[in-house]
Amino acid sequence: MILEKILSKGKKERGVIENIRRHIKLLCTAFETFKSALETNNRNLMRNVVDLEREGDSIRREIISSIYEGAFLPYLRPDLCKFVEIVDDVFDLVKDTASHYLDAEIPDQIKGECVKVALLNVRICEMLLITFEAMLEGKDLREKTLAIRIYEKRIDDIKFSLIKEAREIPTRNFWEGKILSDFMSGLTMISDIIEDASDYLQMINVSMR
Amino acid sequence: MKLEEFMTTKIEFIDGDGSVYDAIEKMVDRRIRSLVVRFPGKETEHGVITARDIVFRALAKEINPKSIKISEIASKPLFCVDSSMTLDEVTRVMEEHNVARIFVCERENIIGVISLLDLMAATLIIRARGDYDT
Repeated sequence: MILEKILSKGKKERGVIENIRRHIKLLCTAFETFKSALETNNRNLMRNVVDLEREGDSIRREIISSIYEGAFLPYLRPDLCKFVEIVDDVFDLVKDTASHYLDAEIPDQIKGECVKVALLNVRICEMLLITFEAMLEGKDLREKTLAIRIYEKRIDDIKFSLIKEAREIPTRNFWEGKILSDFMSGLTMISDIIEDASDYLQMINVSMR
Repeated sequence: MKLEEFMTTKIEFIDGDGSVYDAIEKMVDRRIRSLVVRFPGKETEHGVITARDIVFRALAKEINPKSIKISEIASKPLFCVDSSMTLDEVTRVMEEHNVARIFVCERENIIGVISLLDLMAATLIIRARGDYDT
C-alpha cells in the first residue's frame, strides 16, 4: 500500500482514491452495457451509456475539485488530474460511439467483430482497474501494462479486418457511411486511450519511488 | 476465461486443387500464416497449409509453387479442440501433436484458431488479472 501509506493519511486523499476507483468501475459498467446493448440490439440499453457518461462527468468534477482543494502532494497533482482526464476522454468516446450506434444500422457482416471488440473493451477496462489497484498496493505494473498492450494489439488486428470488410458494404449516402465509419473508429480507438491511461499510472507509480 | 476470448475467428479457406502459389498469394495479401484447405467433394474434411509447409515442402526443395497443388503438401486431418477446453488442456494437445496452431471446432464447424502466440498472450493476461475473475 505504498501510495496509500505515503499519501492517503488525509481524508481528502482517501476520498480521491475512492472516487477514482468508482470512476473506473463506472467506465467498466459503461462498457458492459455497451457490449450487451450491441449484442442484443437493445437501443434503450445503449441509451444508458449516455447516462453513465454523465455520472462519470460528475465524479470527474468531484475528483478534480478535491485535488485542487489540496489533496495529494503538489508534484503528484498534475499526473493524477491528467489520468482522470484521460479516463474521462474514454467516457466521452464510448458515449459518442453509443450515439453513432443509435444513428446507424450495423451490418451483419461486421456485427460479430464489433461485439468482439466491445468485449475486449470490457476486458481492457477491467485491466485498467486491476492496474490502478496494483499501483495502490505499490506493486510492479509491468505485467499489467503488458496485458493492456496485448488487448490493444488484438483490437488493432480486428480493426484492420473490420476496415477491409467495411469497404464491401454498400451505403445509400454519405452520412450513412460516415456514421458507420465513426462508429467503427470510436469502437476501436477506445483501447488506445486506455493504453495512454495505463501509461500515466505507470508514470505515477515510478514517480512514487 | 473462455478459449473463445483468445482465439482468432477470421478463418481463411482455400481449395486443395489450387496451386501452392495461390496459397502464398492469399497468405501474403491477408497477412496470415495458415489457410484451411477444402477438398472438393469432401465437405466435412479439411486440412491446413501453413507458411512452414510451403517453405519446407516446396520452396526449399526448389519446387515451382505454381506447379504443385495445395493438397499435395497440406497437412490433414486438422487438429481440432472443443471450445469448452481450458487453455492448459489446449496447450497439452498442441505439445503432444507438436503443432503451432490448433482449430477450435463445434461439431464439424471450425469456429476459430488458436496459435502459440495467442496462448502466450492468454497466459500473460491470466497472470496479470490474478484473482480478479474469482
